[in-house]
Amino acid sequence: MQTLSSRWVGHGLYLVIMAALISGVYIAGQKINYTWHWERLWPYVINTEAQDIVAISDGTAVIDAKGTLSIAPDFGGDPQIVSEYDQLVAREGDLIFQGDTIARIEGWRFGPIAEGLWVTIKLSCLALIFSIVLGVLFGLMRVAQGQVWRNLAVTYVEVIRGTPLLVQIFIVYFFIGTVFDLDRFTAGVAALSIFTGAYVAEIVRAGIQSVSPGQMEAARSLGMNYTQAMIYVVMPQALKRTLPPLAGQFINLIKDSSLVSVISITDLTKAGREVVSGSFAPFEVWFTVAGLYLLVTGVLSWAIQRLEKRLAASD
Amino acid sequence: MTNTHLIQANGVNKVFPNGCHALKNVSLNINRGEVVVIIGPSGSGKSTFLRTLNQLESISAGDITIDGVDLTDKHTNINKVREEVGMVFQSFNLFPHKTALGNVMLAPVKVRRQAKAEAEQDARDLLYRVGLHDRIDSYPSRLSGGQQQRVAIARSLAMKPKVLLFDEPTSALDPEMVGEVLDVMKSLASDGMTMVVVTHEMGFAREVADRVVFMEDGELVFEETPERFFDSSHPRLQRFLGQVL
Ligand SMILES: Nc1ncnc2c1ncn2[C@@H]1O[C@H](COP(=O)(O)OP(=O)(O)O)[C@@H](O)[C@H]1O
Ligand SMILES: [Mg+2]
Repeated sequence: MQTLSSRWVGHGLYLVIMAALISGVYIAGQKINYTWHWERLWPYVINTEAQDIVAISDGTAVIDAKGTLSIAPDFGGDPQIVSEYDQLVAREGDLIFQGDTIARIEGWRFGPIAEGLWVTIKLSCLALIFSIVLGVLFGLMRVAQGQVWRNLAVTYVEVIRGTPLLVQIFIVYFFIGTVFDLDRFTAGVAALSIFTGAYVAEIVRAGIQSVSPGQMEAARSLGMNYTQAMIYVVMPQALKRTLPPLAGQFINLIKDSSLVSVISITDLTKAGREVVSGSFAPFEVWFTVAGLYLLVTGVLSWAIQRLEKRLAASD
Repeated sequence: MTNTHLIQANGVNKVFPNGCHALKNVSLNINRGEVVVIIGPSGSGKSTFLRTLNQLESISAGDITIDGVDLTDKHTNINKVREEVGMVFQSFNLFPHKTALGNVMLAPVKVRRQAKAEAEQDARDLLYRVGLHDRIDSYPSRLSGGQQQRVAIARSLAMKPKVLLFDEPTSALDPEMVGEVLDVMKSLASDGMTMVVVTHEMGFAREVADRVVFMEDGELVFEETPERFFDSSHPRLQRFLGQVL
């Protein structure tokens, strides 16, 4: 047994080590003459600066009685109408060139990092749901009576586990995506779901097989058919045992989702890459991106732990 | 064929895929309300025979009829048959994720489509009957072996089966808990339940059985009323009884 004081000593030591590590990073930054510019990062997360509204073609500015600005193009066509703005830059009669700032709008909007984070979350959630569906389906096929089902499930699992995710993403996007005319995002979700589904299938199979055969026999001898016995007796017990490995797999899913940037989905990682080139603050950007991934995976593992505790009632 | 027997097993053979010939021409008829005890050395096919009666084990040859339904007929819905044939296992096999009440209610609600409230009332009554009315909300992991086996009996009874099969129901129990389970079984027998019991409890066989069956090497060697059974001078039976008593 640990004594209370030795626990506090442990906590204290931990804090010292962590402080040393963090200052190590800081000192390393100074060694290479890196100047930290955390403030540069902020607009890329949430942008509170006024937004420029720019002219889309050359023309002349006209402002009517209600204050609506319209740019009549020089070479004909529909005028550009700007009715909502906070600050007017163009004045009545101004000659405007394409790309000129004609008005500004205040308020905040999400920057590319926040938008990338949102894409990553959306991608991961959808892939998580579909991978559970695939995993349960193929996990059940893996333990089914029919040899056909078992063979199909083994093939799926082995093919997917035996090839790199990056290659699968390319195949799904360039081959399947072209055949079925999928957009990038759908292709990304599909590739991640198929990949994670194979691992979930193995976890589900192991979970089902860990339930003693006596449970199935007891259920069947009460008159339940195979499906009822699976749903009411075997699967609930298997679920409880599969939660810890599933949590690990879903955390992998969130991290693996960073690979979809290779098919030009602007997820958190791709947003990070783009922001680095715009902000000249690579360390800040990548530390922030890492922190955001950690936040998402942390929330997920916390949620699964909660679920585990709830299911532990019968232990 | 007469329909007076609840169970008719005729020339039942079971050969496992590994070639083990576990049942050799076993024939046994069981009447309604009868208590039949099967004894025999380990590996003699007692469990296998019991399991063929609710088709947890298919048979290789012969035929089995329960309440007029031919189990070997392809068109027989085996799930329907199993609703009528309860089974109590040596290792209880309670559902660990359900409370005692949940264990007893599950099949009536899901299989018999009984209303929940009604099933719950029946389950409470059954748990009362096996002496567990104060452990209704306990999960199996919180119950002793004897209590678990009594819940398992209540769970089987909840389907209102025509026959109950017991496969060594007290073999996994600590000695002090054997009595409470046997008492429940005795009261079932006196209520007229048809029972087929594999057991090593000779006292139970003597006291409760209408007939005792002796199996050895996959064969049904000998069957008699308890009085004659235990007085018999059948050599194979004598050898076995000499070993266990
Ligand atoms: N699933 C199985 N596969 C192969 N052989 C089996 C199987 N189940 C039982 N047996 C064999 O069948 C014989 C009878 O077993 P069992 O019915 O369990 O005997 P008992 O219940 O009388 O101890 C034994 O020789 C056993 O090894
Ligand atoms: Mg046995």
